[in-house]
Amino acid sequence: MFPKVPDQHKTGKPLIPNGIGVLYVLFTTVYLFLIYFSGIAPASNGVSEPLTLAVCILFGGFMGLLDDWMDLKWRYKAFMPLIAALPLIYLTLADPFARTSISLPLLGVIDFGQAYYFLVIPLIIMIVTNTVNMLGGLNGLESLCPAIVLMGLMALSPMHLVLMLGPLIFWLILTGFNLQGKIFVGNSGSFAMGMTVASFAVITDLKLPLLISIIPYVFNSSLILLTIFFTKNRAKVTFDGKKLVADHRKSLVTLITYRRPLTERKVVAVISLIVLFFTLAAVATSLLGPHLAFS
Amino acid sequence: MKERLVNGLKSFGRLRIQTNHASIICYSALLLILFIAFTIRVLPIRWEIPTGTLRLNEFDPYYQFSLTNKMVQDGLFSPYLENDGQGWINYQQWYPGGLDMFNSLPSLPMTAAVLYTIISWLGVNVDLMAFCSLFPVIFGTISCLLIYLVGKDMGGKSVGLFAALFLALAPSFLQRTALGFFDTEVLGIVGLLSFTLLFLRAIDKNRTLRSSLFYSAGAGLALAYFIGAWGAAYYLLGLAVLFVFALVLLKRYSQRLLLSYSLTFGLALGIAVNIPYISLDYLTSAVVLPIAAMFLMLCILEVLRHNVSSRTKVMLTAASLIAVVGGFVALWQLGYMEGIAGKFISVLDPFVRSAAPLIESVAEHRISAWGNIYYELGLGIIFFLAGLYFALRNPTNRNVFLLLFGATSLYFAASMVRLLVIFAPAFGLLAAMGILGVMKPFYTLLKETPQLAIKSKRRLARVSKEYSGVVVFLVFMLLVTNFAFSPQSGGVPRVYGSAYSPLTVTASSLPLSGDHLSEPAQEWLDMLSWTRNNLQSTTVVCSWWDYGYWLSIMGNVTTLADNATVNSTQIENIGFIFMAPENLSMVMLEQYNAKYILVFTTLGLASSSDGSYYIAQSVGYGDEGKWSWMARISGQARDRFIQDGYLSEDEAWTDESDFGAYNDNGAWEWNNAGTNSTVYKLLSWAKQSWVDNASGSYTVYADEEGVEPTYFKQAYFAGLELTLAEAAAKYSGLIPVVALYEIDWDAYYAATG
Repeated sequence: MFPKVPDQHKTGKPLIPNGIGVLYVLFTTVYLFLIYFSGIAPASNGVSEPLTLAVCILFGGFMGLLDDWMDLKWRYKAFMPLIAALPLIYLTLADPFARTSISLPLLGVIDFGQAYYFLVIPLIIMIVTNTVNMLGGLNGLESLCPAIVLMGLMALSPMHLVLMLGPLIFWLILTGFNLQGKIFVGNSGSFAMGMTVASFAVITDLKLPLLISIIPYVFNSSLILLTIFFTKNRAKVTFDGKKLVADHRKSLVTLITYRRPLTERKVVAVISLIVLFFTLAAVATSLLGPHLAFS
Repeated sequence: MKERLVNGLKSFGRLRIQTNHASIICYSALLLILFIAFTIRVLPIRWEIPTGTLRLNEFDPYYQFSLTNKMVQDGLFSPYLENDGQGWINYQQWYPGGLDMFNSLPSLPMTAAVLYTIISWLGVNVDLMAFCSLFPVIFGTISCLLIYLVGKDMGGKSVGLFAALFLALAPSFLQRTALGFFDTEVLGIVGLLSFTLLFLRAIDKNRTLRSSLFYSAGAGLALAYFIGAWGAAYYLLGLAVLFVFALVLLKRYSQRLLLSYSLTFGLALGIAVNIPYISLDYLTSAVVLPIAAMFLMLCILEVLRHNVSSRTKVMLTAASLIAVVGGFVALWQLGYMEGIAGKFISVLDPFVRSAAPLIESVAEHRISAWGNIYYELGLGIIFFLAGLYFALRNPTNRNVFLLLFGATSLYFAASMVRLLVIFAPAFGLLAAMGILGVMKPFYTLLKETPQLAIKSKRRLARVSKEYSGVVVFLVFMLLVTNFAFSPQSGGVPRVYGSAYSPLTVTASSLPLSGDHLSEPAQEWLDMLSWTRNNLQSTTVVCSWWDYGYWLSIMGNVTTLADNATVNSTQIENIGFIFMAPENLSMVMLEQYNAKYILVFTTLGLASSSDGSYYIAQSVGYGDEGKWSWMARISGQARDRFIQDGYLSEDEAWTDESDFGAYNDNGAWEWNNAGTNSTVYKLLSWAKQSWVDNASGSYTVYADEEGVEPTYFKQAYFAGLELTLAEAAAKYSGLIPVVALYEIDWDAYYAATG
């Protein structure tokens, strides 16, 4: 039932069903609706958290489907997530105790005031969604890494754990299949997952951990964008039948495989470890944050 | 003979309604939408049934009601023809000057009066107020039908159906067409939609000339009706001119356009200037003049279409340009445009408005916060944007109109909360186009054979039936979160929140809706029936302007001010009465011959830390929340009061900060001037009276000891009998107290001599 695309990094380039991520969107929507109906997370300040999350993820999935289907132009893809920022802005504005500041280690607290609602939240959504979408193309990469970031965020917010518990399990199952090269989550999956991570972080007020966790993503995206900006070249990794290798350093994947042939699985493992490292760092900073500030 | 018989029978058979499956589904969907539109609009009836009759919502509808009542009683034109054409002046309002009812738009009361007369003639015996209360519900439903027709012309039946659904459930439109909202917007939207429908059909080139003329005349009538119905008609006039101008720019001028344009606008303005309130000045106002300029332009284009030498062309263009610009400058210099232009500019530039507290104190005149707009649209905004995109890609005449309508109404809606209602139909149409535009490729796929290959730039994607099904389902889910379980209203359908709330007077002005108000709050109704039964219609009762219509129309007494806000000096004076110390207020009250003064307060109870007693405090939904506007508005006239000797320089105030300040806990603390003000005493004594009455069975204290006013004696306090338990059970713990004081003139004269 799903459109099939060839897997470029396998011998024989077998056809793999793409866009399975939409199942995640459907599952999550249903799950969050059930959470809403069960009354586990009652509306606070007149806004319902599970429904806000559901709307954002639905929108991410919708956008990804459009992209899967008609290859949206970059300028649309970059700015479309802004629409999904609206429910989140509304949610934080309705919360009288919303923190409009981000506390950075060493630098101290930066208070954005009103700019937080209309600048910082849209930026978070835009950056996270797009950078998560950009790091992909290898089996398991686009599903495993966001899952790691999400798990880090969930560990830090036991109160909101229930919101994402079901979807996370479902996502991990998809990741398992993805790692074995049986399915692709597609843009619908990666946009939805990027949206999940971003909106979950805004709802749970975990901005700093999010920022630390997505450093590898931002690094990857800046590398790609800068290359395109200066040389108008896209990063390309070549596949010799068994291993991946690259002759330039224009993205995270090519940087790792630069003159160093690695199997696809190994590349994924390396990048996942990097993401894991930053996520653990994020968890550690926010757990130790108060202590560090005193020392 | 036999053949004729057979043919006759055949033609009889042809009479049978030709129908198919698709149109049955379409019409049942439409019926269902209209049924939903009607049902949610009558929801507030739940609180009206126990009181035995239907009333009107908020305040302004009572003004329209009194006009309708007059028309039903004394004839359709009586408000305009009485007193030798001077018009009807209602001396029960705005005493002593009276309220000049000549200056009113006639479409709404006339329509209601005519319909009421018809149904009475048919033998339906219904109270006029109940009829007026149901009127917006019916016309709101009719608007949904009209938008279906407009949408059907624009993009087929499905666009029409979606647009009708969106309009039926648009919160702002819903609020203004719900039970009891007998106000100008109701017919405004009907007029706007029928004009759109007819005018767009009139300029349609595929129609015969005859039907074009017919539709132009219809559009003209609809426009005239709209001008007579709603002050926002300026908007539609401007939009129509802009639209025709855009067509000219797109080189779509045709003779048909000139014909329809001149017929429509000629007819509309010809009728409109005969409306008493509008008069000939309307033609020279800044908004109507472009219509004439546009007409001139179309005429020139018509001339240019024929073979004219290029020299004549240039001459003609230059001459007309000079004429138009010169005419504008001359009229501006002569001062013809000032009055109405000012009003128009206040919408174009909202910051002009915020400088005037009298206008700004009305919530519906404020600048919309973006939150209002998001609350209204939800994530449906993506379909709106998609709709704009599809309209841009295919700029037919209708889509050009829709684009202009969408963009301009969004701007005006952002400028003034009240104008969100104009945006609702534009949003409905555009969002419907957006949804169908997005889904079209997918549902064609669903219908056709699977395995359709779509060539894309980078790869060959195969999209199967199921995959398109998933897209359609996702769009459906997005709509579900928009209509049914929207996050911004805590999961409760938005329409439920907007519609399932009682009429203001039946809720005694308490901000309670849905299940929070289990029974109608009787306090205001009690007060109004008390004044009706115990006071004369000529007795002057002083109150803040919000309650003016209720007191004069339902309570049948004479009031000083109401929502018509025709006399700002008088409102400043009333502000003075409330804010000045008693002895100074009495001087002003004497001028107005006032016998009674009324304040409204709302109390909430906090229990003490050990739970042994309760503390009653003001919660801010009554005059205790409005007095800061009284201070600000009367503070504007500070110099006048000093000049006229009402108070001395050091007693004067400019705004609420002269009466107290917020303490560190964020609570308001009155200073000396504050506790001496009349409004403070009236409110605090009302609170104290309730506390004294309630402390029989519970221990209740007021948060501040009440001060008994010297010259104001309790006449009737509605709400004193409300016990703590009743308030908790019925009104979610809120206690409304409507306090009517009799002014003790004897004591005042004895004291002052």
